[in-house]
Amino acid sequence: MAHPTVTLSTRESVAPSRASLWKRWKGALIGPGLILPAAIVTILFSVIPLIYLVIVSFTEESSFFFNNPVYTTANYSTVFDRYLPHIQTTIRLALLASLVNLVFGYPFAYILVRRVRYRELVRTLMVFPLFGPLYLAFGIRYVLLPNGPLAPVLDFLGINATTLLISEPMTVFGMAMFTFPFMVMNVGTALSNVDPLLEEAAQTLGAKPWQIFTRVLFPLSRSGILAGFLMCFGWNLGVFVVPILLGGTAQQRVLSITLHQKGLSQFDYGLASAMGIVLMALAFGVTWLSLRFSRGALGA
Amino acid sequence: MSAAVAPTPTYRRALLAPRRISAGLQHAYIWLWLVLFALPFVTTTLHSLRAPEGGLTLESYRYVFGSFKENLLLSVEVTVATIVLNLFIAIPAAYAIVRHPIPGKRFILSTLNLALYTPGAVMGISLAITYAFLFDIPRTFVGLLGAYVVGTYPLMLVPIIVALRDLPRVYEEAARTLGANRLTTFFRVELPLLGPGISAGILLTFVIVFNEFLVTLFIAGPNTTTAALRVYNLTRTGFLPSTAALAATMQFVSFIIVLVFFKTFGSRYLKGTYLI
Repeated sequence: MAHPTVTLSTRESVAPSRASLWKRWKGALIGPGLILPAAIVTILFSVIPLIYLVIVSFTEESSFFFNNPVYTTANYSTVFDRYLPHIQTTIRLALLASLVNLVFGYPFAYILVRRVRYRELVRTLMVFPLFGPLYLAFGIRYVLLPNGPLAPVLDFLGINATTLLISEPMTVFGMAMFTFPFMVMNVGTALSNVDPLLEEAAQTLGAKPWQIFTRVLFPLSRSGILAGFLMCFGWNLGVFVVPILLGGTAQQRVLSITLHQKGLSQFDYGLASAMGIVLMALAFGVTWLSLRFSRGALGA
Repeated sequence: MSAAVAPTPTYRRALLAPRRISAGLQHAYIWLWLVLFALPFVTTTLHSLRAPEGGLTLESYRYVFGSFKENLLLSVEVTVATIVLNLFIAIPAAYAIVRHPIPGKRFILSTLNLALYTPGAVMGISLAITYAFLFDIPRTFVGLLGAYVVGTYPLMLVPIIVALRDLPRVYEEAARTLGANRLTTFFRVELPLLGPGISAGILLTFVIVFNEFLVTLFIAGPNTTTAALRVYNLTRTGFLPSTAALAATMQFVSFIIVLVFFKTFGSRYLKGTYLI
């Protein structure tokens, strides 16, 4: 009984020798040492490129690469003058897609949490959108092509598939399908924390279904809704392939596509970088907000 | 008494009771979306099987293992390399974050996640410029690898941190008391117990890197075209059955691996990450 206390007290009372000092240093260094590889990779491939992007965005066209860089803010004034519609289109499409997600994803998450027993199946099929927007857009485009596999069905329903194909609604739908799982995940987590007894109590007290939604469910799942909406919005801001495959020229005026054209086809690195910085500022702002709201919803 | 109770169950069992209709509609809504999720994959597969003169054929899959073979091999190589590097980076980092006191842990964590929140096109343009004019590695395998590692190791970090937090320290302490040193304890006791978390990280890395095309579009060259980028390039020129075959193969492989993972480990360790 007395033995362990004795060893403990001696260990603490003895003045630090050289060996124990080294041990303490080792203890303090081991944590940062283990994180070092991660830090090096992030600095090399994320921090340095982003700083470089900021520098290039302030230089005139491609002067940066000819040893006498001309520093200017002209790129940003071009972005906010001539390419303001592009910024607006980016935000509009992302906003519409996130709204579609919310309107269709909320009932989906509610039914999934409250009624469905085959949740594993749902989870399994819901990974298809997560393989990426490329295959989704490719598949949807093929469905709607004139000789596509669903052509007889669409004809029967009186839907003209080709007018759907290159349109804003289809682009928004394609974007929404990619981010649908994120909305369901966030709202579902929030809803599964709401006690079903609260709904039953409201019903017993005479509340109509829409009253249960506006007075009970909505206030209690608000953090999940906000987090899901912002997460979808953030992902959709970087949209690239969906407008190319499903949209027309009006939908293709988004920042990602334009900066790819400016940077890699016309080699106007300054302007492309400035667009990148604007897009990144938008995405980081949205992510920052969504992390603040999701803290309550995801318990993270 | 019993006669008074009897009518209630018969009323409930009625086929067109409002409660039943509403439940049926709710399940129909879920199934509508499930069909929509699978539809692009199913139609892509059907398109790839279509013979020019009608009927079904496996002809277009010859291209997958013919002219697309190099792209697929490159995709597999770069994915495996990324997974290995991610493991070497993420496991020590997760261990340090959970078990060691580090000053400014929150700031470090959000910096490590930086690439995760950067839109693909922004990451693409920044890396394209940096590779071309600063690092001098444009259009190379190393460049691809760097981009994938920095973009996916945070995703591997999350499930391992979750698994490590769930792991009681008694196992570690028992092993240490029995005379094992730190390294032995880690490799023989803790690492096997972290298996599901690490597998979840491997799954996430695989799914994303194998199907990534946007960042690749900015930094890949003719000799470093991955299979996903090839699909993108081919969709711009037309909708040939061979393109559909490649896209269907990529999705099929990804789906099988996800299925195997769900069957083996369940989805617990994927909570709060990219995949549900």
